[in-house]
Amino acid sequence: MRALRRRLFAKNYLDTWFLLIMTGGLLVIFRIAEPDWLNSQTLQSLVAQNAPLALVAMAMTFAIISRHIDLSPGSMIALSGAVIGLVYSSGGSLALALLAGLGTALGAGLLNGFLVAGLGLNAVMVTLAAFIWARGLTIGANEGNPIVVGGGLRDVVNASWGGFTLTAPVVVAAYVCGSLLLSRTKVGRYTYAIGGDPTAARRAGINTALYTTLIFLLMGTMIGISAIVTVGQLGSAQASAGVGLELDAIIAVVIGGTRLSGGEGNVGRTALGVVFLSILNSGLLNLGLTDAYFQLYRGLALLAVLSVQIILRRATDEEERRKREQEQLSAAVAAA
Amino acid sequence: VSADARAVAERRWPDRSVVADRARWLAETFGILAIVGGLLLAFGLTSDYFLDSANIRNIFVQISVIGVAAIGATIVMLAGGLDLSVGSVVLLSEVICADLTATHHLPLGVALLAALGAAGGIGLLNGILVAVIGIEPILATLGTLLVAAGLGKLILGLRYLQVDHPVFNDLAVTNVLFNLPIMVAVMLGLYVVVGLAMRTTPFGRMVYAVGGNRRAARLSGLSLIGVTIAVYTIAGLLSGVAGFLNVAQIGLVSQNDGVGMEFQAIIAALVGGLSVSAGGVGRVERTLLGALIVGMMTNYQTIKGIDPAYQQAFLGGLLVVAVLADRALRGRQ
Repeated sequence: MRALRRRLFAKNYLDTWFLLIMTGGLLVIFRIAEPDWLNSQTLQSLVAQNAPLALVAMAMTFAIISRHIDLSPGSMIALSGAVIGLVYSSGGSLALALLAGLGTALGAGLLNGFLVAGLGLNAVMVTLAAFIWARGLTIGANEGNPIVVGGGLRDVVNASWGGFTLTAPVVVAAYVCGSLLLSRTKVGRYTYAIGGDPTAARRAGINTALYTTLIFLLMGTMIGISAIVTVGQLGSAQASAGVGLELDAIIAVVIGGTRLSGGEGNVGRTALGVVFLSILNSGLLNLGLTDAYFQLYRGLALLAVLSVQIILRRATDEEERRKREQEQLSAAVAAA
Repeated sequence: VSADARAVAERRWPDRSVVADRARWLAETFGILAIVGGLLLAFGLTSDYFLDSANIRNIFVQISVIGVAAIGATIVMLAGGLDLSVGSVVLLSEVICADLTATHHLPLGVALLAALGAAGGIGLLNGILVAVIGIEPILATLGTLLVAAGLGKLILGLRYLQVDHPVFNDLAVTNVLFNLPIMVAVMLGLYVVVGLAMRTTPFGRMVYAVGGNRRAARLSGLSLIGVTIAVYTIAGLLSGVAGFLNVAQIGLVSQNDGVGMEFQAIIAALVGGLSVSAGGVGRVERTLLGALIVGMMTNYQTIKGIDPAYQQAFLGGLLVVAVLADRALRGRQ
């Protein structure tokens, strides 16, 4: 118990505590601004609406810990959705359509993984390219028009038990599995190793290409599920699905406390980041702001949180460094 | 014998690397020029209209906005950064410029200065967030992307602003170089100025030093903060100028102006041979060739009636090819 308490209040959780306080602050502000906003329905729709963000952010945590990044999920969700729509509307069964969508997402993950891990290309640029070509193909697929997907998918995805749809257990399961994968398995350990020092990981005999590809495949899986959820919620595949989702996912991971420099972080922290971002987006939307104010406030809020967190982290790092130097000094004195 | 062998070895090593360096420089510069020439030939042979002087003028006009924004993207990436706020700054600059001249009837000079001030201000903010506070470039400039777009749309509201100031008209219509209008001359002039500055001034060398080896640059006494802030501010100003050119080209300012321009600018720089595998490698003038390659391909596809959506998909593929070529020619860092 005491160990747990010491861990929770340790200095390197300062930025996480700050995030929690900010999340609470947002709840209070939005509640005051719009008293009707926060009720049980809000919570349910928050989970349903942000399920794709939550799923992608989970996989993004792996990508960022391994010092990579993936800018393609938003476009890939739209592309996989379009494939589902095209297969279904050309007479395929729903099962076949969903499999084709999942296959597209996994194929794209494999391609990104091959280019990054196999050929050693820069992940930002490879996935930026995918962000562009996948959106282009999606819009080209049906001239930008939505493709209706029937077959009962909409009923299944939107069916609710006690207000929660199927997305809630899916997200929880993804985070539990992701957390176990990262903390208990070889894949997780190697993810940290690759991000901590790629050269050292390779020299230690880790097949970095294989594990990096696996990380992109994990992202592909989450993209595939997100595509099914997105198509199911609307009953159609939209060419504009998932616009900006990848950047939201990256923000959620970083605000949660996982650093872009790689080698550290965890899935639980990302969950906190997703909660903060979902509340910020939903609360701002609920205020009925114009697009202009929405973007402005969102930008300012994100920059403010990122800045304060970085300053807090730097203070902690500085303190740790000083403590370490002090210890080394006293060890040297003792030795003398 | 061993001393002689070592002397020979020491003499040969630098020689070989100098030859390799020159060969690489030749391959890079003339390689990209050869691609431009090859495309001209191929497109010219397969389309009656492509090499028409009116079409060549079109291509230059079409690339001038992205071309100017891409100068900023190039120097930011040369210094090891990334700027996602380009498109929003273009919008903000357009809106301020159009609002002050069309709605408030202020003189054009005042409007241009105000727009440049705002664009430079967002760039300065980028620099401070990245260099002083220490937020990663991709996140810091994403934040300012939202802020700048929000401000722009706030001023614009739900209007379309029509701009019919004679100066903007002149920028797009009056020919100065052969049959190229002033806006193309502005772009080429900016490439000459920034290209020369990057080659010959201490500032240019500092940018390369910071991008090439951050630690070595700091240890040799360079101000990382100063260089980074300067680079982002210049990029912001250039995005502001790109905004003026966009107003001149379209004559209309609307909500969605500038969307995605940051990516087009990055693509132009990378197709022009800016390295992402080795930091601090690339030339501003080659970005112009990159923008020209992208512009020629887009123009050719449009002539051939290809759906813009598939043109976009093709652009993504082109980016992969550029990154692959960079990796193949320069290797891993």
